[in-house]
Amino acid sequence: MSGFEEWAKEAADPKHAAGKPEALPGLRVLELSPGHFGGMVAASILAEFGAEVIKVEPPEGDPARSYAPEGVSISGTGLPFLSEARNRKFVTLSLGEEEGVRIFRRLAEASDVVVETEGPARMDSLGLGYEDLSRKNPALIYLTLTTYGAFGPDAGRQGKDSDLLCQALSGVPYVTGDPEENGPGEEFQVPTKTGNWHGWFAQGLWGAFGVLAALMHRTSTGRGQVVDVAGAEAMMKFVDYNITWMHTAGRERRRTGKFDPAVFPYTYIRCRDGHTFIAAYNDEAFESLMHIIGRPELVKDPRFCTGPDRTRIENEKALHAILEEWSGQRTADEILREIEEYTSKKSGHAAAVVTGRVNRPIETLSESNWWDRGCFSRVADPVYGNLLLAAPPWKMSGTPPRIRSVCRPPGADNEEVYAKLLGMTGRDLSSLRARGIL
Amino acid sequence: MTGSQGFFERAFLLASLPFKPEALRGIRVLELATRIFGPATSDYLGEFGAEVIKVELPGTGDLMRYVAPEGFYWQDVSPAFLPQNRNKLHVGVDVRLPEGRDLFTRIAEKSDVVVENLRAGTMDRWGIGYRQLKEKNPGLVYAANSGFGQWGPYAKGRASYDATAQAVSGMSAITGFPGRPPVRVGLWIGDFTGSLCSAIAILASLAARRRTGEGQMIDLAQGEALIRALDWTWMYADISGRDRERAGNRDVTFPPSGIYRCADGFVAISARDDAERGGIAKTLGVSTATPEDVASFAAPRTRAEIVRISEEAGFSAAPVQGGRDQYHNSHLRARGTVWELTDPLYGRIDEFGPVPKLSESPGRIKWTAKPVGYHNEEVFGGLLGLSKTEREELERKKVIGKWADAPGARPPHGEAGGPAGGGENEGPAE
Repeated sequence: MSGFEEWAKEAADPKHAAGKPEALPGLRVLELSPGHFGGMVAASILAEFGAEVIKVEPPEGDPARSYAPEGVSISGTGLPFLSEARNRKFVTLSLGEEEGVRIFRRLAEASDVVVETEGPARMDSLGLGYEDLSRKNPALIYLTLTTYGAFGPDAGRQGKDSDLLCQALSGVPYVTGDPEENGPGEEFQVPTKTGNWHGWFAQGLWGAFGVLAALMHRTSTGRGQVVDVAGAEAMMKFVDYNITWMHTAGRERRRTGKFDPAVFPYTYIRCRDGHTFIAAYNDEAFESLMHIIGRPELVKDPRFCTGPDRTRIENEKALHAILEEWSGQRTADEILREIEEYTSKKSGHAAAVVTGRVNRPIETLSESNWWDRGCFSRVADPVYGNLLLAAPPWKMSGTPPRIRSVCRPPGADNEEVYAKLLGMTGRDLSSLRARGIL
Repeated sequence: MTGSQGFFERAFLLASLPFKPEALRGIRVLELATRIFGPATSDYLGEFGAEVIKVELPGTGDLMRYVAPEGFYWQDVSPAFLPQNRNKLHVGVDVRLPEGRDLFTRIAEKSDVVVENLRAGTMDRWGIGYRQLKEKNPGLVYAANSGFGQWGPYAKGRASYDATAQAVSGMSAITGFPGRPPVRVGLWIGDFTGSLCSAIAILASLAARRRTGEGQMIDLAQGEALIRALDWTWMYADISGRDRERAGNRDVTFPPSGIYRCADGFVAISARDDAERGGIAKTLGVSTATPEDVASFAAPRTRAEIVRISEEAGFSAAPVQGGRDQYHNSHLRARGTVWELTDPLYGRIDEFGPVPKLSESPGRIKWTAKPVGYHNEEVFGGLLGLSKTEREELERKKVIGKWADAPGARPPHGEAGGPAGGGENEGPAE
């Protein structure tokens, strides 16, 4: 057989995606996620796999269009919205009007999936709750994304879901950042959130996962259902072994900053041009690393002999300092080369010395690897211009995901959707527009 | 309780959950993977009813078995091994041996999905990669999870852990405080985010397979999953030519939203729109609330007090929770998010339950991880139909096998016990 890598590239290079079928053609998703990024992520993931997503915005446009960190927006739409508005049809509809609600019901009747971020109580008060919508369309999959979820003692809590609320409740900030050492901490020695909206992102990913699982069930039974994702729980799932550790030992994960309770070295170290990651925590890999840094005698040092020795906090600190004496003289790339040169002659556990530069975003963008792999796409749009998007991360041989469009203005697809799907005429649309319903 | 609330409480009642069908029943997943980025992918599918067969090396098995927090084992199993290995059938097969590869292939022929996270090309070299398996089973969905992908400049031999992905993706560079070093998120966020992405693509592939009958290969690199997660980072860098700055605990899109220190810990105060910003300003008695105003407001008050005030004043707040808060949280227990499991081997063990709650075909935890090779008879005898003599012969040749007599790999000594600590109910966090 020919080389695997050549074969894999030929089979899964996103460059070939356009000529291949999609995974979810014919799946219609109705998205109602005003001001909510998690709902956009859920719908985007389905859209990347080929679903037809219809995003419903109020006539004045989605509040999320006004989100503009550092004040940057293009044609009235901020960067967060533009980065997650791909592959959609955009319709406007006022749900403040009874007629708008009726139109939404008709759209839901013609859809496979509804994604909503308003919460069941608000949807119910609009007459758009799951019980209402499923009566006419029992095959409907109804995804609801809120902070606390649709049931349970905290389900009725007020407040508007945000990434920050999801993060705080998830436990991710609780275990991230530098711990306080002695006495009152510095400003940075606090629970630290992720810089990106990972709470909202994880909520959207779990939403897409839940919809696809529900779709499997629908295929065998013909029945739809509710998929309820609490943003608080989305990233909570990722906090390693927190719950089982609590149960078995009564212990919880805490902030350890550069250090790690289970494996070491597994840390960021300063180098000449910034920071780099270094890991070599099994005994054989640790021995390799000590040879690489020219300190083979430390393998026998009682502080570092075994995994448990190396994960004692005072020993982690000592080892971190020793590693930085070495790394401070080198660039991240030099460190990578030295390690690769050594580990290429080793195999198995002894080769498990792992490194990688802590890239600033512009550094990531400067590495050709990500471009060769199709991780970024530049999309030209007549309204919003030439924009850089993070592409779907999956390389797939059969039905690869893809980006078809970047964004459209509010209501850009009204004619197409309302005419084709609901059979409205030009006159119907003009009348609805005149009354502020579209 | 409103009408819809009553409906949801009934639709999701935990007591009726065991009597409902499973969404992925009939899907068989074959896993040859270690640590997190692989095992978690099949765990997510297993939660919703897929049958997962986890292949480990006889004896030591998945090296994650020995990642024990502060060296702690409970009933001879590491609590860090459990969360991504529930509902699985554990078999011990030495796939480095030709007969082991043959056994792996025979299970793959009867499977819908293979999940692996070996270095790129290893499976192919062993003759059990996608190219070989699809000849025997064209409907197979094959997920190859890796650090840098199956092809491309970084794919060859470059190893990767979770933090590699956090580092190279740019995620760490935008996390942390201005003027301070970049921060590694204190959990394996690249592994888990990547695992979930992989599970999503598997479900999408299974949907496609219903139409085409064809399986496919999914090549997912964990760093690339994190790149996808960084929202406006890339567009901003491209347009402005500048890096997005680390902003500490402020959400710069929604000032003065952020995490603030308060009397009994930390609290998130959030304002997504003008109405919520107005609610904060009014509470503080200012026209526009600055982060400094909010910090002074939060400092003398408790988390619960601030949440209560926010609900009255029309903005949002939530406590910064840790594992202890979550473990004792009655809301999370009522949702099955903290899942109360009675395992046949280990007794009571509370696990993290399924995240998406499905009303008709809900996910569930049926049992927790088991020792290496615990289900050998069931899989080799039942699924493959090997006789007792054949199995013994394979054991003798060390093609199949069970656990080593070591903590992490072996069954618990003596009777299955209850929780060793932390099980006492201190009530909900607030």
